[in-house]
Amino acid sequence: MASIATSSVFFPVSSSLKQNQVSNLKMVSLSFTGKNFRSLRLQPSRFRVACAAKPETVEKVCEIVRKQLALPADSAVTGESKFASLGADSLDTVEIVMGLEEEFGISVEEESAQTITTVQEAADMIENLKAKKA
Amino acid sequence: MALKLSFSPHKMPSFPDARIRSHRVFMASTIHSPSMEVGKVKKPFTPPRETHVQVTHSLAPEKREIFNSLNNWAEENILVLLKDVEKSWQPSDFLPEPASERFDEQVMELRKRCKEIPDDYFVVLVGDMITEEALPTYQTMLNTLDGVRDETGASLTPWAIWTRAWTAEENRHGDLLNKYLYLSGRVDMKQIEKTIQYLIGSGMDPRTENNPYLGFIYTSFQERATFISHGNTARLAKEHGDLKLAQICGIIAADEKRHETAYTKIVEKLFEIDPDGTVLALADMMRKKISMPAHLMYDGQDDNLFENFSSVAQRLGVYTAKDYADILEFLVGRWDVEKLTGLSGEGRKAQDYICGLPPRIRRLEERAQSKVKQASSAPFSWIFGREIKL
Repeated sequence: MASIATSSVFFPVSSSLKQNQVSNLKMVSLSFTGKNFRSLRLQPSRFRVACAAKPETVEKVCEIVRKQLALPADSAVTGESKFASLGADSLDTVEIVMGLEEEFGISVEEESAQTITTVQEAADMIENLKAKKA
Repeated sequence: MALKLSFSPHKMPSFPDARIRSHRVFMASTIHSPSMEVGKVKKPFTPPRETHVQVTHSLAPEKREIFNSLNNWAEENILVLLKDVEKSWQPSDFLPEPASERFDEQVMELRKRCKEIPDDYFVVLVGDMITEEALPTYQTMLNTLDGVRDETGASLTPWAIWTRAWTAEENRHGDLLNKYLYLSGRVDMKQIEKTIQYLIGSGMDPRTENNPYLGFIYTSFQERATFISHGNTARLAKEHGDLKLAQICGIIAADEKRHETAYTKIVEKLFEIDPDGTVLALADMMRKKISMPAHLMYDGQDDNLFENFSSVAQRLGVYTAKDYADILEFLVGRWDVEKLTGLSGEGRKAQDYICGLPPRIRRLEERAQSKVKQASSAPFSWIFGREIKL
């Protein structure tokens, strides 16, 4: 299931990756290789969540990340994107988490907030918290 | 050059400092947390070490000239802020007089007053005293700075004269607090002394990179922080009925204020001469976060000593994340950062970053406060292992 989730996130984005190849070469190659690598190698820690996050959730997280980091709307931000690679410092990361709390009506504990380094992790955590609330 | 690179917002940090540990970060500083996140790979019962890459000599060599050219200015504007030794207070002015017949009586009075002061206050006062006693580290730090270091130990440049005299003034702080705490009978002096030995042994790297721009920005921030902190311990001492202790903390705070004036004056001059370089330096220091001088403190038992101490200091209102934001906001105003003109593109980005930072920090702090915190406490060896609410 995990690999399906990643590929469903991957494909819609790949076309925009190509569009941005010139301007965001570095970011493209990073996330591109990262994705390939990950789909070849199972990372149970990353996908241990029972239900992988819905694509809409991931997309919403990407939006919030873009806004926080003032990235252009077409910039390459995907589930695999690491906050740090996108230029987020520690302050940005906390503010991203705060943005997610507001957007999804959840409350994130300090300990959980510290473990989030990618869009996917954030989306998974959101799904977890929403499920707990329900 | 290293300074510019380290400022680039798109640089990949060498550590996962994307993680942040709530409001405590701004006092404890995330500089400490990387060691926590890397899974605390240090062996047990060893003092913490700086885990960031230690960068050196980031100031462009030609900029060292600036400080030479400021020698006369420094003599006329900075050295005048030093106090004549003959007019300076000494620890003896605030302690029982050993040569007097009334010594025993004075000590008894002191101990009686201290009995009324709660443990958590003492934990914070001890932490402050330990910080002051690590003075060798701070003199060292000043002497790592290019262009202003004391080359021989008795150099006659105004910068070197300042550094030695500043050290001499600060030296009285640790001495006074040490003697007071010793006489109080409320604290475990041996544990405190051990902590001091560990701390001086650990040193610290405030990430000033031998760069006097970074160095004086750092000290400006720190002097104001200690002014606020000692001012608060003075206020609390008064509330607990120990007017003598309040006086002590107050007189120390007054020194810190004078020192703050000196360091902020230097940076003001740097903004005047090299606004672009200075604003970049300020943004760099703020991105790296101002790490507290005693963040590597260790007492042989508690791996989270600094964090625990900071929590208590935060809870008591002695030094808080809000203070951190306030200090930054004060400095932004003091140096008129908003009004800087003629900046490069990078400089303008730095200016925006700095001016936008205080409200972001405040918002962060509000969020941290609103989180339901689990009541936790920790033992402190400084007070014989008694527990304090964090």
